[in-house]
Amino acid sequence: MSENCFGILAEFKSPHDLLSAAEKLRGKGYKNFDAYSPFPIHGMDEATGIKPSILGWIVLVGGALGLSAGFGLQTWVSTSAYKIIVSGKPLFSYQAFVPVTFELMVLFAAFFTVFGMFALNKLPMHYHPLLKSKNFESVTSHGYFIAIESSDPQFNSAENVLIEVGGSNIEKIEE
Amino acid sequence: MNNIDLNKNKVQLQGYLTEKLPKLLFGIGAVFLFISFLFLYNDPHHAMFSYLNSFTFFLSLSLGALFIVLIFYLTRAGWGIVIRRVPENLMMNIGLMGILFIPILFGLHDLYHWTHLKDVAADPILQSKQPYLNTTFFIIRALLFFSIWIWLTRKFFKGSTSQDSNAKPIITAKLQKASTYGMLIFALSFSFGVFDWIMSLTPHWYSTIFGIYMFAGATVCVLATTSLLLMLIRRFGYLKDIVTIEHFHDIGKLMYGFNVFWAYIAFSQYFLIWYANVPEETVYYLQHFKGSWNTVAIILAIGHFGIPFILFMSRHVKRNLKTHCIMAIWLILMHILDLYWVIMPNIAKKGIHITIPDITCFLGIGGIYFGLFFYRFKNTLLIPINDPRLSESLKFQNH
Repeated sequence: MSENCFGILAEFKSPHDLLSAAEKLRGKGYKNFDAYSPFPIHGMDEATGIKPSILGWIVLVGGALGLSAGFGLQTWVSTSAYKIIVSGKPLFSYQAFVPVTFELMVLFAAFFTVFGMFALNKLPMHYHPLLKSKNFESVTSHGYFIAIESSDPQFNSAENVLIEVGGSNIEKIEE
Repeated sequence: MNNIDLNKNKVQLQGYLTEKLPKLLFGIGAVFLFISFLFLYNDPHHAMFSYLNSFTFFLSLSLGALFIVLIFYLTRAGWGIVIRRVPENLMMNIGLMGILFIPILFGLHDLYHWTHLKDVAADPILQSKQPYLNTTFFIIRALLFFSIWIWLTRKFFKGSTSQDSNAKPIITAKLQKASTYGMLIFALSFSFGVFDWIMSLTPHWYSTIFGIYMFAGATVCVLATTSLLLMLIRRFGYLKDIVTIEHFHDIGKLMYGFNVFWAYIAFSQYFLIWYANVPEETVYYLQHFKGSWNTVAIILAIGHFGIPFILFMSRHVKRNLKTHCIMAIWLILMHILDLYWVIMPNIAKKGIHITIPDITCFLGIGGIYFGLFFYRFKNTLLIPINDPRLSESLKFQNH
């Protein structure tokens, strides 16, 4: 296979075929392949063997960071940097810090969610090799596809396997 | 998944759960209510508070269940059709709660300071509240609230159960329409109900958010109870492939969400009162932070919010029936403690003081309550078999 090959694309007739093909591919030990469909298909995550996203942990870190930043900043400001007594309450009035702490936690968590998602999806991506395929255009309306990527250890036999699991319109996609 | 056998035998409770268990629970309830009555006779002042506390817990269960049913119709929720019968059955106990309210009417003088006319005459604040807070109007309001709730619950229960036999989808459409104004009426009556029965225990104090605070706790509790009851029913071999881990997961999510909502509301109420520092308002927290009640408040902050917030955040906890069960039991215990902390400092002024009627009233009302719950399943199917969205619920999967 050539150096600049992205992978092999195959079309399937229905969501059901796509699902069973993905299951068979996973059964044969393929790892670097992905299924493409116009709408989410129940059970596809399990069929393609995609691991749960780690985004949740990234958000947790963001939230924890926001929480400590918000609470820390207010504690520092009101107890040492700029002491002002407000309505006769102690300088360290943790009750008053809660709303801002909460907001900063949400803000940081939201930032980490959005930018974490960008990073995990390798966004911004200006083009995707699969978009070179004319046939692939139907993926937004009625086409169901699987592409085995060239990085897969068993890539050499990918073309035959895709035919075997019921794929048609086999196409080699350049990088 | 599509060819689940909806044979009537499989969705109709039989045997122990509808025959022996209700009798057993009724027996337990009667015995403990009788013991509570003896205490009530000896020391009405303290025992009335114990009774009110247990009454409020089970009332909050029924009203929370009414809310769940209303919100299912209001949002046209498809996933929850198979679990709806449990809250439907719980909400029907509102009639029972109406009967159990009668002892409170006899104990008004022991419970509510504003019924002491001599004290009211000497107290300008209570005097100005008298047009609203007087015994006659109080009873009229109670009658109004219970008639609204009985009317609403019967409407939704009858509609849902009649659909089992006549299979008319129009019933669902009608109930959806009714759920709109039903929800408005529910929200107002719930809020004003707890203003009357719980907030007026401290008659000088007021908090407009108090109804929502009670509502949030009640919703967490009813979701947890629904989970536990479904687990029990499944343990007896029913609903095995009908109510799946997907449904438990969703109940868990709602439970978790409403628990955070409870914390948000509880803090909002405390925060505004703490900030403004107006004596009329701070009196409540001064009373509830006194002595060992302060410890209870800290336990609530950590146990009702902190620990569940961290421990039950993961989807794996909600999708594992064992941990889900622990989560549900924990949150119910916390709701009980929350009500105890809200109500009992009015009588145990120096600190927490658990008495025997606290427990006997709870077991007494609880026995009758759940006895009736299981007894009603004798004539009610476990799922609404002709609901138009049933297949959506059966196929439901989380992502």
